[in-house]
Amino acid sequence: MVRVTLPSMLAAQAGGRQHFDIEAETVGDALRALPVADLLFNERGEWRNHLNVFIDGADAREQGGPACPLACAREVLIIAMLSGG
Amino acid sequence: MAFGVLALVGTRKGLFLLWGEDDRHAWRVEGPLLDGWGVYHATIDARDGVLYAAANHIVYGPTVQRSADVGKTWERSKKLGLPACSGLTLNAVWHVEPGLPQQPGTLYLGADPGVLFRSDDAGETWEPNVGILEHPTRGRWFPGAGGLCCDSIQLDPRDPQRIYACIASAGTLRSDDGGQTWLPVNKNVAACYFPDPYPEVGQCVHKLLLHPARPERLWQQNHCGVYRSDNGGDSWEQLDGNGLPSGFGFPIMIDPNEPDTAFVVPERSHEYHYFPDGRLAVYRTLDGGQTWEEMSDGLPRPAWTGVLREASASDADSVYFGTQSGSFFALTDSGRWVEAARHLPPILSVEVTQWSA
Repeated sequence: MVRVTLPSMLAAQAGGRQHFDIEAETVGDALRALPVADLLFNERGEWRNHLNVFIDGADAREQGGPACPLACAREVLIIAMLSGG
Repeated sequence: MAFGVLALVGTRKGLFLLWGEDDRHAWRVEGPLLDGWGVYHATIDARDGVLYAAANHIVYGPTVQRSADVGKTWERSKKLGLPACSGLTLNAVWHVEPGLPQQPGTLYLGADPGVLFRSDDAGETWEPNVGILEHPTRGRWFPGAGGLCCDSIQLDPRDPQRIYACIASAGTLRSDDGGQTWLPVNKNVAACYFPDPYPEVGQCVHKLLLHPARPERLWQQNHCGVYRSDNGGDSWEQLDGNGLPSGFGFPIMIDPNEPDTAFVVPERSHEYHYFPDGRLAVYRTLDGGQTWEEMSDGLPRPAWTGVLREASASDADSVYFGTQSGSFFALTDSGRWVEAARHLPPILSVEVTQWSA
């Protein structure tokens, strides 16, 4: 079981809920189980370009992206954008 | 009973509802709704009062949001995207156009990259229009600064088979068979940035409107001038002499009761997107575009900003627009503009409807 935490804008799109406890083999599976999955993946099933996801503090893109196994991970953080106007 | 105008003002950081009272002199600002989303366009479906917003975010992508309670709660469309075989992905959603009264549940959606969607379930799911997706001229379309955006969709109220879709920069496409096939209708419309200034396609339409009382009459503010067609787009007449300081601009407004009346907001040029010499003014024609008169009483000067293509609206009583500097203006019966709101985020879109309570 991994706890997925959403930033506030995503939580607003998930009925106000910020934390989800999900059973999943990969981080991609965990994110696809969220009620905001359509905001995280494009129509080809790819992560959106500016999405930042961390698994127990490590950047998921550097660990294979959506295919990264969660194994014994405890926490998945989706981080709001790092810059912008 | 109280009544007035409700303006839906889409901004780069959310949607604002501006409630106008007292002949458009007093306004109450509500929002932001859809906080943080870039609302490229929002409209209220006159058939059932449902509010739709084309909302985009740099991280979370394009969505269509639907509210049946005037913005208190929202639902996202459940299916919106392009087929893998197209080789395209959806970049942004630009314009939601409710269907005709005899088409309950039908809506159209214009989007980037030069695509049109249709929904027959009140916006829950969207199907791309194959005729536009696979149009034989697509290879000659190219994106402007706003992307390859489908920003204008107009439906002929007398002929449900006739639809107009405009793409910058593909030009105006017309369907006479309910969207199965699409004919470019850009005769005499300049593409002034090409070596051949009058190609079949490639025109940059900033906004196109059909006159509801005379549906064969179309008005368009183009990258390369202001135009009118009296034959459903088969040919066009350029109208930006005789009083306009520039043919360049983005929005256009019409009077729903007067087919010869239109309003534009000229900018200096395609290289300088602000008002000529900082002189913010709306220009009105009462004679089909033969002459234009300035309407600037009450507008601030100098104003080094602009008005975007979706950021204006009109009804039977007035015209309205919002600026990139976050001001919203309404024309009062005296002919003087009222600044109904200021210091909003950059305004991307404006639509108006009537309210009563």
